[in-house]
Amino acid sequence: MKDFRIERETRDTAELIRLYGSLDMYSFPRLEAQLTALFQQGHHCIVLDCRDLDYIGSAGLGALIGFAKQARERGGDVKLLNVPERIYKIIELLGFTKVLQVHNAEDSAVGSFAKT
Amino acid sequence: METPEKVRLKKSTSKLQLQTPSDGSYLAYIRGLVADLARKIGFPEEEVAKIEMAVDEACSNVVEHAYAPKKEWYWQHRDPEIRMDVRAEKTSLVIEIHHHGHKFDFGCYRPDNIEDRIQKMMPHGYGVFIMRKFMDEVHYSSNDETGNTLRLVKHLKKV
Repeated sequence: MKDFRIERETRDTAELIRLYGSLDMYSFPRLEAQLTALFQQGHHCIVLDCRDLDYIGSAGLGALIGFAKQARERGGDVKLLNVPERIYKIIELLGFTKVLQVHNAEDSAVGSFAKT
Repeated sequence: METPEKVRLKKSTSKLQLQTPSDGSYLAYIRGLVADLARKIGFPEEEVAKIEMAVDEACSNVVEHAYAPKKEWYWQHRDPEIRMDVRAEKTSLVIEIHHHGHKFDFGCYRPDNIEDRIQKMMPHGYGVFIMRKFMDEVHYSSNDETGNTLRLVKHLKKV
C-alpha cells in the first residue's frame, strides 16, 4: 500500500502527470486540485501516467471523465498512459475505456495531441 | 500490514472483524485486508480486484453520504465508525458493512442507465452500479437499534 503521490512535467504540448499509489475518494481531491489548477492556467492537454497506480475507484474514474469532458470542450483531453492490466480490465469491464483514450507508450500519448 | 491507529481488528484465517473511524484515510487499509482474505480463500486476481472495488464503493458511500456532516442523523450522538464482518464460507466470501449513519433506501435505488452516464461523461453515480455488477449478492438492511448493514456476497466459482 503506497501513499498517493503526483509528479508533473511538461512534454511538448502536453502536461504529463505521473500517479503513484491509490486513487480513491480520499486521495482524488489532490489530483482534482492539480487538474483544476492546470485548466485555470490554460493547460487542457493532459496525460496521466498510471504505471505506478495500484487502485482506482469510481470517484476517481468519474471525475476523470468529467475532466476529460471539460478538456475536450476546450480543445484538449485527459488521456491515460501505462494503465496496469489489473486496473485496465476493471475499467474496460465498466465501460470507461469507451470514452477515455488509453495509450501504452508515452510518445504515442503525448504525440496524439499534436495531431488533434 | 500494520494496523493503523484507532482501528480494532480481529483476524483469523477465514474471518475478519474490523472497526475503523468513518474516514477516507482508512479505505486503502480496508481494501487491502479484504483483498488479502479473498486471495487466501482462492479467488483469482481478477475477482479479487472486483471485490476490492465493491468494498471500496460501499465504504466510500458510508464516509461520504451516511455520515455527511450536513445531515442531522443519529450518528451525531456517537463517533462515526465503520464496522465490518468478513468471513469465508464454504463457497463464498461474505462481507457485512455496518454503520449507524443515515439510512439509504438501497432496494429502491435504481441508477440511470450506466452506459448513458459514461457516454455523457458524467462524473458521479457509479458506486451502486459497481457493487451490483461485481458482487453476486447485494443486500441492505436497516434497524433503528442496530444500525444499517450492507451485505455483499461473492461466490467462489469452480474452474
